Amino acid sequence: MEIRVNLDVMMARRKISGGELAERIGITPANLSVLKTGRAKAIRFSTLMALCHELDCQPGDLLEFVDGD
Amino acid sequence: MDDWKNSRSIRLSQAGVLLFALLLAALDVGCFWILRWYINLRGMHWQSGFGMMAVIYLASVFGWVFLWKMWRLLGNLRAGIVFEEENVALLGAVRSCCACAAAVFLLGCVFYLPFLFVAAALGFMALIVQIVRSIFRKAAQMQAELDLTI
Repeated sequence: MEIRVNLDVMMARRKISGGELAERIGITPANLSVLKTGRAKAIRFSTLMALCHELDCQPGDLLEFVDGD
Repeated sequence: MDDWKNSRSIRLSQAGVLLFALLLAALDVGCFWILRWYINLRGMHWQSGFGMMAVIYLASVFGWVFLWKMWRLLGNLRAGIVFEEENVALLGAVRSCCACAAAVFLLGCVFYLPFLFVAAALGFMALIVQIVRSIFRKAAQMQAELDLTI
């Protein structure tokens, strides 16, 4: 049971690199990598809002609940 | 202003650690003469004197470890490393030193009963350090979580 981050899928759809997205939303590429690889413990609403704005998507497109028990 | 105050506070603590290191060194060097004077003053047996000396030297080992760990802890705080597992481990060592020294002084009551007060003070100090350690451990966990909040 986990929340899967589908950021890489959305980035591929929008054809945007990690560095560029990180710069646009104002976080470091290292932090974006933490988010992409699913190592993040939490995500701020402000970060989620910036991601949705830049990727032109909904929060549900980025986050997915996986019931895998 | 706050940073300057914090830095001054840490420097003051480091000066305190150095002062106690000097006092402990003086005690280690002069233990024999101090005890000889005290035993003559109180008219005690030399047997007790040697026992007291053994207790003081044994506790002194824990004292040196205590001061070294405190020095490292303060160095970490000065470098901005605060709520980290390393500091939790350092506080654990400080607590153990207090507890071991308390045990040594408790056993030393056989030679000199007032050592009981020193043992009680050290035991209480170990308890306080244990509480501070628990706070640091919890804070370190929260810090780790915060670092992974994007």
